[in-house]
Amino acid sequence: MSKMRKAGRVGLGIAAATALLIGAGAAQAKDALKIGVPTDLSGTYADLGNQVIRAVEFAVWEANEAGGVDGRKVEYRSLDTEAKPDNARRQTEKLVREGYPVILGLIASGEGLAIAPMMARWDGLYISTINKSDKLTGDSCEDRVFRVNTQSAMDAMTIEPWLKQREEKKWAVVAVDIAWGRGSSEAFAATAEGAGKTMVGQFFIPSNTNDFAPYIQQVKDSGADGIWVVLAGRDAINFAQQAKQFGLIDSITVAGQSFTTDNTVKALGDVAKGIFGIINYSSTLDTAENKAFVAAWRTKYDADPTNFEGETYLGMQVLFQAVQKSGSIAPADLGKALSGGEFDTILGKLKMRAEDHQLLSPNYFGKVDEFDGALRPVITMTATPDQVTPPVSCSM
Amino acid sequence: MSGNPTSLTAPAGGRDSGPLSRNWRLLTAAAVAVAAGIAAPHVISSVLWISLLTQAVVDMIFATSVGLLVRQNGRISFGQAAFFGLGGYIFAVSIAREIATPELAIILAVVLPTLIAFLLGLIIARIPGVAHAMLTLAVGQAFYEVVFKWRELANGDDGMSVALPRTLFGFDSGMLQTPGSMLPIVWTILVMILVGFTLMARSPFGQLTEAIRENDERAQFIGYTTTLPRAVIYGASAFVAAVAGLLQTLYNGYISPDMFHWSLSGMALIMAIVGGPKIIWGPALGAFILFFFKDVAGDATEYWPALVGIMLIVVTLLLPEGFAGLAERTDVPLRRLRKGRAS
Repeated sequence: MSKMRKAGRVGLGIAAATALLIGAGAAQAKDALKIGVPTDLSGTYADLGNQVIRAVEFAVWEANEAGGVDGRKVEYRSLDTEAKPDNARRQTEKLVREGYPVILGLIASGEGLAIAPMMARWDGLYISTINKSDKLTGDSCEDRVFRVNTQSAMDAMTIEPWLKQREEKKWAVVAVDIAWGRGSSEAFAATAEGAGKTMVGQFFIPSNTNDFAPYIQQVKDSGADGIWVVLAGRDAINFAQQAKQFGLIDSITVAGQSFTTDNTVKALGDVAKGIFGIINYSSTLDTAENKAFVAAWRTKYDADPTNFEGETYLGMQVLFQAVQKSGSIAPADLGKALSGGEFDTILGKLKMRAEDHQLLSPNYFGKVDEFDGALRPVITMTATPDQVTPPVSCSM
Repeated sequence: MSGNPTSLTAPAGGRDSGPLSRNWRLLTAAAVAVAAGIAAPHVISSVLWISLLTQAVVDMIFATSVGLLVRQNGRISFGQAAFFGLGGYIFAVSIAREIATPELAIILAVVLPTLIAFLLGLIIARIPGVAHAMLTLAVGQAFYEVVFKWRELANGDDGMSVALPRTLFGFDSGMLQTPGSMLPIVWTILVMILVGFTLMARSPFGQLTEAIRENDERAQFIGYTTTLPRAVIYGASAFVAAVAGLLQTLYNGYISPDMFHWSLSGMALIMAIVGGPKIIWGPALGAFILFFFKDVAGDATEYWPALVGIMLIVVTLLLPEGFAGLAERTDVPLRRLRKGRAS
């Protein structure tokens, strides 16, 4: 009995102390920075979505460990979009209206394009870290939409010197039939024709396809010497495995965008060896900022950050600096701080172009090869931001 | 439609009140419901909730269209999303491509799907059972494939944003995209549809369709043509689905091929079953329950489809007439009690 009373008294004391602490905290702390992460957790690009979540989780953890951003606690909340544009719209609206107005993490370009015109009406802000379609910062650009990852036009400019020195004359494209695949195919075709190549086919495949055999046969029939593959996540793995079985990978040159990434190469093993591709981020990049990031990541996860994790983390870096610069978490203020600003990132000091809200970043190209005893995409060519600055086609 | 309907109009159950007072009661209930809908945005403080409710009501309208088909025709459709999608696409494509004025586009968006469904109904209505389900699935998916593959029409898989004109029928179109003003609009439309369907079910025509549903052959035997009434129900059901698709497009300002996909037809059917299609407002109730169940489950876990699946199993096993059936069952003893007290 007396024990219980004692416990009760202690409990009361703790409660009172907590109440005091909370009261004091509330008096001092600024409003938290709340980030909404609508991403694909169960669709074709679920693997990419999980990488996005992990990078956001890491960046939020790191920021809070360091006492927050601009004295603010950082919080995030994620919802599944299944990579479907209409779901993305619903989930994003929900996040913004629930008080998570800074949106980041959508995978498919169509998702980004679907929410872009709504951001002003919902009073949110969207930072693309994965969407490739040129339109997002091109003819569909919006005041409240920013992109820190490279767009397809920049990736196409990156492969241009490589394409010029290749001997293969006839090229075909195998791409997913969404805004990303269509845009990338267009950009590649223009670049290839500029480099004196002939396009012999553009094959568009619905996302989440299981049987690629008919498409592989079409590619073979087209007589292409080389193919540009625009498939990611589950599609990339299925296509690569079947292309190997049908002897396509061994008979022609294969290059791609978001095709042979850190994770797909891990899943594919030897099948992926020798495939060329755009590399938007690699943990092997030799800069002080990147090394610090990779070291911190390793202590937390005991693994290297993947390309999508790196790109998402870069987005978080840019966002945090915009909060510091503006001293605000209001989407309108963040937008002003982002537009035309310069940011310290794991890829160096980069500028967010004011005209179209595209971050001018360096880009990389390489091949899947042995590195430290394991297969992974290895950088063979680096393009500086100046070399891959896309033309402005946005009027805000 | 033709013939002598008197043998079919006697109210089922032989309740104390005549059809006239029944209709008055219905209209009073409807007026109360509409008033509640208009008041709702002033009572609910969270914009998120008002927006979710608006989307839920659109789902409720769509589920009602599926329910009508089950209730009046005894037919299960796996292609109802075709008319939902058509409602949205006809409107959006017409104004984006400047084929029609926005007001005409709205009218076309509900009239064309109704007409298409009526004509299809003349054929499909003759086919019962599994073949019917497969045929509706095929028709629905045919539309889906067209909008999916035809990128020039509306960006294929990525969908298309629709910028509304500044005014529609003289009203500020911003009203349609603001949750606080859109909720009363969609709610009023839902109530009107439910009232309309209730009156239709009570009418000689409604009784006739139920007779056809129960026994097509016997209805023919007593001199009714059975295909035409069935086709009219297809048209009415498609009209409501198109209204739902149009309202969603107006509210979201966005269309995508998923509006046509069979999984959406399936979802609408699940809503109708959860709610109980035997009662006119059952599917709407099912849609409401499922919408918020999905929302809560989606917040709780990324494996939310499993929770929805479990719920469906539980409902079909324990509540074969859905939640509305449950409500109705608890209502009967209450009514008896009330009646006893009154006399």
